[in-house]
Amino acid sequence: MQLAAIQSERRLQDEIRGFLAADRPDAARLPRSLETRMEALRAWQARCYEAGYVGRAWPREFGGGGGPAAEQIIIDQELAAAGAPEFANVVGLDVLGPSLLRFGTDEQRRRHIPAILSAEEIWCQGFSEPDAGSDLASLRTRAEARGDHFVVSGQKTWVSWGQFARWCGVLARTSDGEPKHCGISMLVVDMRSPGVELRPMTQITGHAEFCELFLDDVVVPRANLLGELGDGWKIAMHTLGHERGTAALPRQVKLRTWLDRVVRVAAERSVDGEPLIEEPGAQVALARALIGVEVLRHHAYRTVGEFLNGGAVGPDSSSVKLLMAEAEQRLAATVLEVLGPTLEHAEPEAVGEDEFWLETYLYSRAASVYGGTQQIQRDIIAHRVLALPQE
Amino acid sequence: MDLELSDEQRWLEESVETLLAREAEPWAGLVEFGALSVGGDDGLGAVELCLIARALGAHLAPVPYLGSAAVRFAAETVDLGGHAVAFAVLEPGSSWAAAPERTALTGEVVTGRKTAVEHAASVARLAVVAAGPHGAALAVVHADAPGVTRVPQPALDPTAPMFAVELVDVPAVQFSGETVRRLATIGALLAAAEAVGAAGRMLDDACRYAAERRQFGRTIGSFQALRHLLADLYVRQASSWSSVLYAAAALDEGADEAARTASIAKAYVSRAAREVAHGAMQVFGGIAITAEHPAHRYLRRIIVRERQFGDAVHHERALGRELASTAVPEPVT
Repeated sequence: MQLAAIQSERRLQDEIRGFLAADRPDAARLPRSLETRMEALRAWQARCYEAGYVGRAWPREFGGGGGPAAEQIIIDQELAAAGAPEFANVVGLDVLGPSLLRFGTDEQRRRHIPAILSAEEIWCQGFSEPDAGSDLASLRTRAEARGDHFVVSGQKTWVSWGQFARWCGVLARTSDGEPKHCGISMLVVDMRSPGVELRPMTQITGHAEFCELFLDDVVVPRANLLGELGDGWKIAMHTLGHERGTAALPRQVKLRTWLDRVVRVAAERSVDGEPLIEEPGAQVALARALIGVEVLRHHAYRTVGEFLNGGAVGPDSSSVKLLMAEAEQRLAATVLEVLGPTLEHAEPEAVGEDEFWLETYLYSRAASVYGGTQQIQRDIIAHRVLALPQE
Repeated sequence: MDLELSDEQRWLEESVETLLAREAEPWAGLVEFGALSVGGDDGLGAVELCLIARALGAHLAPVPYLGSAAVRFAAETVDLGGHAVAFAVLEPGSSWAAAPERTALTGEVVTGRKTAVEHAASVARLAVVAAGPHGAALAVVHADAPGVTRVPQPALDPTAPMFAVELVDVPAVQFSGETVRRLATIGALLAAAEAVGAAGRMLDDACRYAAERRQFGRTIGSFQALRHLLADLYVRQASSWSSVLYAAAALDEGADEAARTASIAKAYVSRAAREVAHGAMQVFGGIAITAEHPAHRYLRRIIVRERQFGDAVHHERALGRELASTAVPEPVT
């Protein structure tokens, strides 16, 4: 058991803090236009990659840092604590990159991993479909094998950053056998192929970071199959579990920066002449939000420890995922309660601050849906952790 | 960073579990095993004490361990031999946050009134929080010294009997205010760990029951309403233990955040353990409302531990005040 950072970890922390102090974009002040925003995020990831802060634990031969897994977690936490924006290639780094490393051929890794790390090529994922959300295994996008290539047709949704992506990891049906998740394969689709069409979807925040993806007889070389034919489900579950298990630590740091920020705002703003932060009810609400974030941290430490010591990310990643959504949603709802009527008064100089909180609140509703809904996570726990009978 | 138990800690966990499964009156066995060898270089730390407390909660062991372990941890130099100790913190009409008003330490003797002193009749020493010349202090007295009166009080949990204690000019060995603060921190953690143990046992039993009990021609554990309820209880239970373990490790490492993290763990577990108990009782259904079913015995222990060293509201208020006091408005640019 060891909580305090060891010497090499402290050195790394100091080094990153130095790097961040010199020059970093502020996540809260990124350009509003999606295009210029994406360019800024790309440039930021490229700079961090050059400094050795992206893919720290990925194999050296494919452009990674070859370091221990704990170092990337330290880096991600420091970046979050400083309010740095997330990386442009978040799907490549968190989902498809780990899949390529685990299941890809050397040729696929050499081709794709360096460009994922440097943000030269953005990745997106084509998993969900309009009629296959939580029931992902019922997906209907088809990939017909024709000699040295597949022909892929279907519709995908919730394709984050699809409009900027060069590559998409697509789950497609390659056979109709039962059980239905056995006939699914993972294909790497070049977004410049003929037959690929995208339609951006505007989210409740007003941004359009998601797309619908239409695939119409898209030709995908056989060499772009990830793993074996029919491995798609296994690959998707592996990477989603991975994402759930390791994302929590940087996430809780980000939530903590939000909490500190709302406390500061509540100290600056008054209603009826009384600073918001002086209200005992507000203090207790903020304390409960703090407890949610802190317990997420404690639980993620315990579960990630097992992962760092060589264990697999197990079904307990579902409990982390549930706590993560709960902490974020509680915090976001607390902001509404604590800042209360000041969110409506909208003094001109406060508009930016209010917009940030309203967007944060609105988007917090996604936290219990994306990456496997709250209900799916409960099913996983009931089945795989508690081993309750299914009839 | 790492919250994994060491091999020694796992061995300790298993040994205590074996002992408690074997003996209904395990106090002598616990002392002999070394469960009171606290502190120093090879004694037990906060993590080990929490592991033991969790097991005691799971077995509803009727032993004065919480006080005996907490006082040894808080006052490292105290010489108690193998004696059991009860903590006397609360005063009639006061909260866990209040400074001692009715109990004073003058010179070498302590005089005052305490309430809800657990196991006071069966311990050899009382650790009394009293107002000393320099603020709160801890006064350790012989429980059977002249001037000590112990009167039984109604107790929610019969395995944790409570007493009102009156002290008149009782000779005391005294410890500083820092000891009182450490006692509050470790006491909160051990109380939380016991509650986690009791709630964990209820959850295990509820899962087993859900896998066996049949209604509508199928096991009730196959109904999604119960599956999701039990999954939520599991998350509460697992995260409660993570929080206790983290706070205990922080305390052992002497981290700056130790007291604050213990407060967070106690606040969280105080609500969570009761939530797990309530959910488990819902799974058991009507049988859990009968006196012969063990559910209420665990629930009673959980509620007693919920209050000791401050309940959720107590700690949330303190944490909220601390948040407010650290709010530094950003300089206007």
